Amino acid sequence: MLLEQVEYVRPGTVGEALELLAANEGAAPLAGGQSLVNVLKNRVASVALLVDITRLDELRRLRRAGDGSLEIGACVTYDELDRSEEVRERHDVLADVAGHIEDQQIRSRGTIGGNCCLSDPTNNLPPIIVALGATMHLRSRRAERSVPAEEFFKGYFLTALEPGELLVSITVPPLPKGSGAGYCSLALAADAKAIVRAAARVTLAAGAATVEDARVVMARLAHVPVRAAAAEDGLRGATPDEGSVRRATASAGEGHEPISDSHGSGAYRREMAPVVAKRAVLQAIEGARR
Amino acid sequence: MSVAAPEQTSERAGTWAGRSLPRKEDGRLVQGQGSFVDDLGMHGQGYAWFVRSPYGHARIVAIDPAPALAMEGVYAVLTGEEAREMCATPFFAIAPEPGALMQEWPLAVGKVRYQGDAVAVVLADSRETARDAAERVEVEYEPLPAVVDAVAAAEPSAPVLHEQAGTNVVWHGLFDYGDIDWALDNADHVVKIDRLHFHRFSSTPLECNGAVVDWDLGTGTVRVESNYQMPMFAAMVIGPTIGVPINKFSFASKDIGGAFGIKIGFYPQIAALALLSKKAGRPAKWIEYRTEHMLSAGHGNERTFLDIEVPVMSDGTILGLKVRAFDDAGAYLHYEPLGAVIWSQVVPGCYKLKHVRVDYTETVTNKCPTVPNRGYSRMQHLWLVERIVDIVARELGFDPVALRKLNYVQPEDYPYETPNGCVYDSGDLPRSLDIALELAHAAEWRERKRSLGTGSGRRIGIGIGSTLDSGTNNFGQSRIINPSLPFSGNGEASIAKLDLFGEINVDIGTTPQGQGHETTAAQVAADILGVSPDDVNVTVGFDQAHNAYVGFSGTYASQFAVSGLGAVMGAAEKLRGQIVKLAAFALSAPEEEIELEGGQARVKGDAGRAIPFIGIANMVYANNAGLPPDLLDGVDLVARYVYVPPFQVPDTERKTGNLTLTYASQVHVCVVEVDEETGEVRILEYAAVDDCGRRINPLLVEGQVHGATGQGIAAALYESLDYDDDGQLEQPSFYEYHAATSMDVPAIASGSIESPSPFTPNGAKGMGEGGGAPLHAVCSAIQDALGPGDAVVADSHNDWERTYRLLRSGEEGAARGVTVVSRGPAGGSSPAGDV
Amino acid sequence: MSEQGTSHYIETVVNKTSYRRVVRSRQLLVHFLRDDLGLTGTHIGCDTGNCGACTIIYGGRLVKSCMLLAPQADGVEIETVECLAHDGTLSALQQSFHEHHALQCGYCTPGMLMSATYLLRQDPSPSEEEIRRGIRGNVCRCTGYVNIVRAVAAAAAAGAGGSPAGVAAAGEGAKRSAR
Repeated sequence: MLLEQVEYVRPGTVGEALELLAANEGAAPLAGGQSLVNVLKNRVASVALLVDITRLDELRRLRRAGDGSLEIGACVTYDELDRSEEVRERHDVLADVAGHIEDQQIRSRGTIGGNCCLSDPTNNLPPIIVALGATMHLRSRRAERSVPAEEFFKGYFLTALEPGELLVSITVPPLPKGSGAGYCSLALAADAKAIVRAAARVTLAAGAATVEDARVVMARLAHVPVRAAAAEDGLRGATPDEGSVRRATASAGEGHEPISDSHGSGAYRREMAPVVAKRAVLQAIEGARR
Repeated sequence: MSVAAPEQTSERAGTWAGRSLPRKEDGRLVQGQGSFVDDLGMHGQGYAWFVRSPYGHARIVAIDPAPALAMEGVYAVLTGEEAREMCATPFFAIAPEPGALMQEWPLAVGKVRYQGDAVAVVLADSRETARDAAERVEVEYEPLPAVVDAVAAAEPSAPVLHEQAGTNVVWHGLFDYGDIDWALDNADHVVKIDRLHFHRFSSTPLECNGAVVDWDLGTGTVRVESNYQMPMFAAMVIGPTIGVPINKFSFASKDIGGAFGIKIGFYPQIAALALLSKKAGRPAKWIEYRTEHMLSAGHGNERTFLDIEVPVMSDGTILGLKVRAFDDAGAYLHYEPLGAVIWSQVVPGCYKLKHVRVDYTETVTNKCPTVPNRGYSRMQHLWLVERIVDIVARELGFDPVALRKLNYVQPEDYPYETPNGCVYDSGDLPRSLDIALELAHAAEWRERKRSLGTGSGRRIGIGIGSTLDSGTNNFGQSRIINPSLPFSGNGEASIAKLDLFGEINVDIGTTPQGQGHETTAAQVAADILGVSPDDVNVTVGFDQAHNAYVGFSGTYASQFAVSGLGAVMGAAEKLRGQIVKLAAFALSAPEEEIELEGGQARVKGDAGRAIPFIGIANMVYANNAGLPPDLLDGVDLVARYVYVPPFQVPDTERKTGNLTLTYASQVHVCVVEVDEETGEVRILEYAAVDDCGRRINPLLVEGQVHGATGQGIAAALYESLDYDDDGQLEQPSFYEYHAATSMDVPAIASGSIESPSPFTPNGAKGMGEGGGAPLHAVCSAIQDALGPGDAVVADSHNDWERTYRLLRSGEEGAARGVTVVSRGPAGGSSPAGDV
Repeated sequence: MSEQGTSHYIETVVNKTSYRRVVRSRQLLVHFLRDDLGLTGTHIGCDTGNCGACTIIYGGRLVKSCMLLAPQADGVEIETVECLAHDGTLSALQQSFHEHHALQCGYCTPGMLMSATYLLRQDPSPSEEEIRRGIRGNVCRCTGYVNIVRAVAAAAAAGAGGSPAGVAAAGEGAKRSAR
């Protein structure tokens, strides 16, 4: 499979990258390339200039801020998330999700920024990023802004990024006290694409007798990750047991018209949504209890 | 009885044959030194790229290659019409009319009939330019309605693919053995199944197709270096079309990155490349890309079974079966309709069914042409039979193990003649099943299944797949399809040579793709010539210029151990005879007293009287003055031998005859866990027992068992090729077609027994294809995990969603797809006890 | 820093040999290795980064070379299957693949060996589960993975992952080369 004619450039700093992105129509940042290169091979999108950002140190940083949140550079790879002690300690579910994306080769190259910026509905990270309440930091030649993850994903292969803008990093706040995270994919096969998936963050009230707060995020019901509002409402104040969780998440598939494709029908996706939502929430509750 | 996996030597270990030798092939392959097709090239070559239809069915209104030709670096563009003008005749048709009227040319002419049908081919100075230029060939299409179902295609109202034929029905035949009407009238029970469907998939070699083709205008010779797996078949099919006699072809295949029958399908591409080379005056290199492969390289046969009726006696004896079968050939007939008779090598499956009526219809559809995918045509029928046995067991209350054992062909029945005159040579199916059950710990799982209460969210199912792998087929069966075909029997050729310095070289007509022919051929030749396999060079790959071949040569249909090694043994014996004759003269001893050992010929019991092979070679090649003239009569140290199995031409009226020489068997047992909430299926334990007669190299046999098992499991759970109503393939790449990974295929416990074939030179039976046993076993296990009120497992592919629907089918009141009409007493109790 | 354009001068070290070449922007790394350097052991199987036939070790990390562009290799050290054997002596993993019949057609084998080599560098004694995860990105159509898993486990047990290069000979078995 062979690409169309394209220009390539590898800037030395983020500033240079932003200049290049601003100055060249049809320029696109090239991160891990594990999806973009396929897009180019299939010639489904035309790119005039590839701006290789994989070696920019600023984008490769992963550190813990003073408030306990993680600041993850856009070019941090899945492998680095999986193997980072900082991530393991604070967000083991995020590390696990990254560590089960497809295979070692893809995890060596694929980046958290690329996974989010492509906004491919099959991608693993967007729902967990949203569930954890992350913030996306965007920068252009002229300005810098931050967008909540929940507002970053706009549509099928569409994000809040404006032309010339680059996702620089993602801040993942620490889990609130008494909280846990969960994630469940109904996948075609081991570590393969998901038919439907859910991510959750659950906070238990003091004493762990009731759920204080919950975020339940569904993927593959729509083009972007969506909050299951009714499930979240149903969980607040509920007892954190399987029966309550099952009741609360029963509606997780409602209100969407998921697509039918070779991996599953829309009807199946809708029917499976409560199952993965329940499992993600139960995992989160278990985490919260630890 | 030991069931430890796997025995490391055959029961009849020769000095070399029968031993688990690691392969001669491996050294180059583990070092990246193989010669695969993309590693080959010719001086001055251009790169080819096919222009393919985006539509499932459309009229070609116009093709304008001018924009492509205007690009720098583009050598030539060949369109379908141009190609047709360069051809004498369409490709040879196996089918009689109307199938014979479904013509195919190297490129589509007038119409495209499936998504991926090639309309033109571009030659340019680089791969990239070729692709860029192919995108600029302007093709105007007028889309037509498509038909994507084999049953619907047979309806008079269906869109017709090939107007000349006036129908989509390629071939129809009634296979009627015994007296099924009597059996249905007299059985205690008749089990009726509405519909079973064997899905479309491909074993999908990891290396796509490819070829470098040069039409040498000076000599008129066409050189084809490719990964085609049956080169002389390609030569026979395309020669008359493009006007090249066989002796002006020069086909060669080197290392082949898997084929599984799929690489029999791309002769039209080779023909198109030859014409492109002729037009451009330079070699054309084409390497298929994966999406092109998924769209157009060839798929396995999809078959729909309707109105199945099974007469069963109250003791569990299954008398036979009656069915209407519809086979989907795809848009063109690339090896079809041979599949319409190939299945009848295994009419009763593993069982003593006496009365069988199969009303068989093959149709064309707007889908990729089918090709003989591993387990070709028998797998589909064996799946039907295995589904029937499990459904009968469930509906009538028999234990599936006991029901199988009751109905199996028994060890004492061999040689067993089937209702259509095939002869099962040997085997021990009950013992194979026992070993498989033990290897899979079926009894323990059965206990676990019983103790697993409701509410666990999990179900356990134990399934069985019993199959036959019929090998070394009698091509005379093609006459059952078309009595005027000039084919019968089978054969393979080999040349054994003693070279100038006494080296031994063996050529075979086969084109292995990982089966280890270099190793096993060396093992059997080494035994005959008294050397080590290290001393036998087996020519790597195939080259028409020097390899031996017959019309049937190639690597396909589970036959190498019989026909390939039969040829090698014959050639080595002939060579041995010549060496002995020369040695007897040189050593002044009678021929009977000469033995070959350690690379020399010597007089038995007299170690001092010996001549090394270099001395023997020297007598013929370089030092022959003074030898008596009659000594060299017929002695040239180049021994060619053609192995011909003992076959008769079948009875084409009654559709009977011995269609295959050997029947290896495989019995598989699969234990699954099904997630009640999602339908996910996880294999907990898997066992495969193979009986392929005497094993020349048990290590390699076990490898073939693993491979066939892995592919079958993949097809059962992960791999399916589906088209939408417009004829668009839903899995055009590995993104959509989930090729099973190391985490999807479970550990496989393998066992073996050896029931030597009485019909072959070495007691071996062909093996390798397998009979699709994992498809049967996985379906059987899923069925076992379902509740009694649930529907029957009616499809060979059960992904999570389909399994989930089955799990829900009982409570949702879905049609079960099966009914029982009983006359006699109900079955109820198991005739031979539980597992 | 690399200049903007459609062709690029790169310096790269492949299997300990330095190369200075001009490559095209749209050239895949696998084509650079195969076509420009003649290292045809690295194969192409799927074109979409799913099959792993093109797997190499790139800057010490396991990658699929069909998912990278040739200009990206500038300044990067690369290892391909051609570096595994030394002076005709197979690596312990290569030898183990041979002895356990872990290859049939051999097309996936170079990529599979690179993944196994990388795995044993990371973890010299992986469990069966870890071996299966380690080769998850390498599709094999011939073996059902059974003997590949056996071969990797056996090589690990013989200490194949223990040496710094991870590919050096280990034990007597490794000193015999395949026929």
